[in-house]
Amino acid sequence: MSHTCPDLATLLGYWFGELDETREAAIEEHYLGCAACSAQLEEVEALGAGVRRAFAEGHVTAVISSAFAERLRHRGLHLREYRVPCNGSVNCTVAPEDDVLLSRLQVPLQGVERIDLLVAPADLRLEDVPFDAASGEVVVAPSIAYIRTLPAHRQVMRLVAVGADGERVLGEYTFNHSPQG
Amino acid sequence: MEGETTTDLGPEAALARRIAAAAPGLDAAAEAELYRRLGPRVRLYGRRHLRDDEEAHDLMQQVMLTTLEKLRAGELREPGRIVSFVFGMCRMVTLDIRRGARRRDALLEKFGADLPYADIAIAPRLDEARVAACLERLGERERSVLLLSFYEEETAEKVGDTLGLSAGNVRVIRHRAMERLRACVLGKERP
Repeated sequence: MSHTCPDLATLLGYWFGELDETREAAIEEHYLGCAACSAQLEEVEALGAGVRRAFAEGHVTAVISSAFAERLRHRGLHLREYRVPCNGSVNCTVAPEDDVLLSRLQVPLQGVERIDLLVAPADLRLEDVPFDAASGEVVVAPSIAYIRTLPAHRQVMRLVAVGADGERVLGEYTFNHSPQG
Repeated sequence: MEGETTTDLGPEAALARRIAAAAPGLDAAAEAELYRRLGPRVRLYGRRHLRDDEEAHDLMQQVMLTTLEKLRAGELREPGRIVSFVFGMCRMVTLDIRRGARRRDALLEKFGADLPYADIAIAPRLDEARVAACLERLGERERSVLLLSFYEEETAEKVGDTLGLSAGNVRVIRHRAMERLRACVLGKERP
């Protein structure tokens, strides 16, 4: 049995099932007998549960992916999706039964290395958002809990490619939001 | 105890020896303390392998019940090696639960009344609003990686496939994001 507490990177690897069987067993036998390690692992679990709940309750804005969106649907979540063409606009709302709101921004991504997402009028700049170049879209899941509190308004998202030679706008997307009810 | 090795001398070993040395069920304080110490760790093992809160709780009850019964009955040859025994039980019961075996009902029926209902702290629940506020302070990739990692408890490789990142890159981002989230939510710096 190992007598050294694993570091956070190793504990995360363990938690997500990335270690080989021998290493995994050594870590388990260690933390079952170690208050300090099990407390660290409890923190990982508690933070993970917090992340899941915060997203499930609509408090988190995140850039996700088409594949993840599909998995949310398969889990039985009710998705409200707006697929917005490049430089297009959409009338949108949020219904009480919606669990997740998705803005699917269609955009040509060939040759793009980094994208920043600018949101107006909130004056937000989300830097270096993740994207899969092959998908041809950036999928934004805004905080649905926050959107529910908003009155009718117009929001503009802009995707900007950032490279060594500066910035160029990839597309602009206008959302005309009306609250339900 | 005769023939016992001295490789495991932690507080859990001392408690196990006390329980084994007492008449069956007589050292309730030691039983409760052993449950309080080991129960939450067994539950963590269950969460990691079964990915389900209820099944992890079932695992904790089954493993701890069996462990205490073995100690009370003097059937553990080396009580000082209690952690190794519990580890073995965790593996075995996890397999049983995966196979859908229903050992729990029979065990609980037989011994449930004797369970030391120790005041165990399980799965501290963090305030979602605070977690959400701290997530908002992370970089975009950090937030996306944490969300995709924890929402479905996926490996770095699968998260990377989903986000168009390498597994190594996901691990680096995930580690940095966890340190930042931990410091923000729990107010702790890296140990």
